Amino acid sequence: MSAILLIAVPLLTAFVSILFKKYSHYMLIAVSFLSVFALGYMDLETITIGGFDAPFGIVLILDNYSLIGLYLVNILFFIVAVLNCKEYKKLSSILLVSLAGLNGLLLTGDLFNLFVFLEVAGIAAYLITTTNKKPLATFNYLVQGTLGSSLYLLGLILLYAMFGTLNMSDMAREIGTSGYGAGVTALPFLLMFIGFGVEAKLLPFNSWAKGILASSNSLSGPMIASVYAAAISLVFGRLLTNVFVIEGTLLTIVMGILVFSLVAGEAMAFSSKKVKEILLYSSVSQAALVVLVFMTGFAGWAVYLIIGNATAKLVLFLVTNIAAKQLGDDEVDTFKGLFTNNKVVGLAFTAVTLSVVGLPFFFGFVTKMNILENMFLSGAYVWPALILITSFIEGIYFIRLLLNLWHTDGDSPEVKFDFVLKYVVVVIAVLTMIFGVYTKPVQDSADDLVVYSITEGGNF
Amino acid sequence: MLQYAAIAMLMLGLYGLLTQRNVIKIIVSLNIFEIGLNLFIISVGYVDDGIAPILTSNFNNNGLIFVDPLPSALVLTAIVIGVGTTALALALANNIYQKYGTFEIDEMGEE
Repeated sequence: MSAILLIAVPLLTAFVSILFKKYSHYMLIAVSFLSVFALGYMDLETITIGGFDAPFGIVLILDNYSLIGLYLVNILFFIVAVLNCKEYKKLSSILLVSLAGLNGLLLTGDLFNLFVFLEVAGIAAYLITTTNKKPLATFNYLVQGTLGSSLYLLGLILLYAMFGTLNMSDMAREIGTSGYGAGVTALPFLLMFIGFGVEAKLLPFNSWAKGILASSNSLSGPMIASVYAAAISLVFGRLLTNVFVIEGTLLTIVMGILVFSLVAGEAMAFSSKKVKEILLYSSVSQAALVVLVFMTGFAGWAVYLIIGNATAKLVLFLVTNIAAKQLGDDEVDTFKGLFTNNKVVGLAFTAVTLSVVGLPFFFGFVTKMNILENMFLSGAYVWPALILITSFIEGIYFIRLLLNLWHTDGDSPEVKFDFVLKYVVVVIAVLTMIFGVYTKPVQDSADDLVVYSITEGGNF
Repeated sequence: MLQYAAIAMLMLGLYGLLTQRNVIKIIVSLNIFEIGLNLFIISVGYVDDGIAPILTSNFNNNGLIFVDPLPSALVLTAIVIGVGTTALALALANNIYQKYGTFEIDEMGEE
């Protein structure tokens, strides 16, 4: 089966579903399920579109890296879609467009095509966030997102003017053989970095995140913080490891941005009094951590970090948003003792939180431990120290949050979680624990998960 | 020469985005930025005395200089995306006006 179908079918169904409004949410469920299912029948290949061979035409690349990304994004998307399809029926067509955009983002091997999919996914994301009923926050997101992708386009065009190609692997080859130093490509790379930084919630460029995620609901929260974050980080990782050449002063600047983002994110989460704000600032610093790990060259482990974060944020945002909707607000004080009445959800929430912090016997520990080990082995002592310190801060505020959620002196609030949600949350928590103990498959595959090689991707 | 005009327009749009506090003016600035960007892309493909890159059978134009057709194709896509975003932004502006009764962000009393 061709990977084009992963983009074409959702896009076509999106337009068909406008004609059959009544059944659009069934179409959404069917298509998102089928795309998870169809992934099992895909061969690893490079697909040329329109009969123009790379580097002249657009190629879609399905390799190990994009396949694991597609599995992650499609499964998470399916879960979010199933849990919300009844409540947000009107958005079914938009969700289908966003599925097409996200799949395209992960598959494409062409820099301009990437911009198009970024905008498709972006416009769908703006529409999804309109369900927050905060038009000003959505407007902020739209302006920043559009400006970010315009800067990406500007950087891309500068690269095209220099090297005359848009294909990712061809671009990487041209840059490698041109003999230009990092100084020449610094401006386009910085522009593209900023463009992606906006979408990936890196700190100086992410002022939209608070407005969107602090007032998110059970659709927009998990969608933006988990599904979109995973897709964008994976694409960012592909660019950082394959295309971008970042050296010298530029490397210092970029690393500075990342460290600032990592530390400030944790600090803001530490000082927040609202559950959603704690979660959103924690995802800001996690995004920076992922990019940092990609920059230091451990792509395989960065992918596992993304998987761990995305699944964890899905659970955390789902539970928080459903509870916040029934309780009226998301102050930690209102949430006090939430889990005394909902022990199953509480245990799952706890397991996932501890995995994000990186305690032993959870999946997060395996990834963080290996990242630290590899960094120590490569002789860079600054980054492990930084990661350990931020993990420590993270541990303090998350465990403080958990204590508040489990323990109360007065009455504990009544919140009803429906069966499907409980099931999903428990399965994710159990998986987190299983892969935290049974680490062999994770350890073995991380080394194989090298990001695609130039000969494979270029098709020439 | 066209490049400088395009960059001036880019900067003008960016200045507008940074300084304006009115929803509609922000959208206009965003559009100016995008038009500047599109002009810049076109300017990348422009060649002095170049002709349209069309291959014809009755006229041998092998020896002539063509302008680069790819940036024009890219701009076409970028314009379409820009229009889509502008439409969405205007719809949001309408929502904002219905909720707050004003376009001035400072008067909305909310961050």
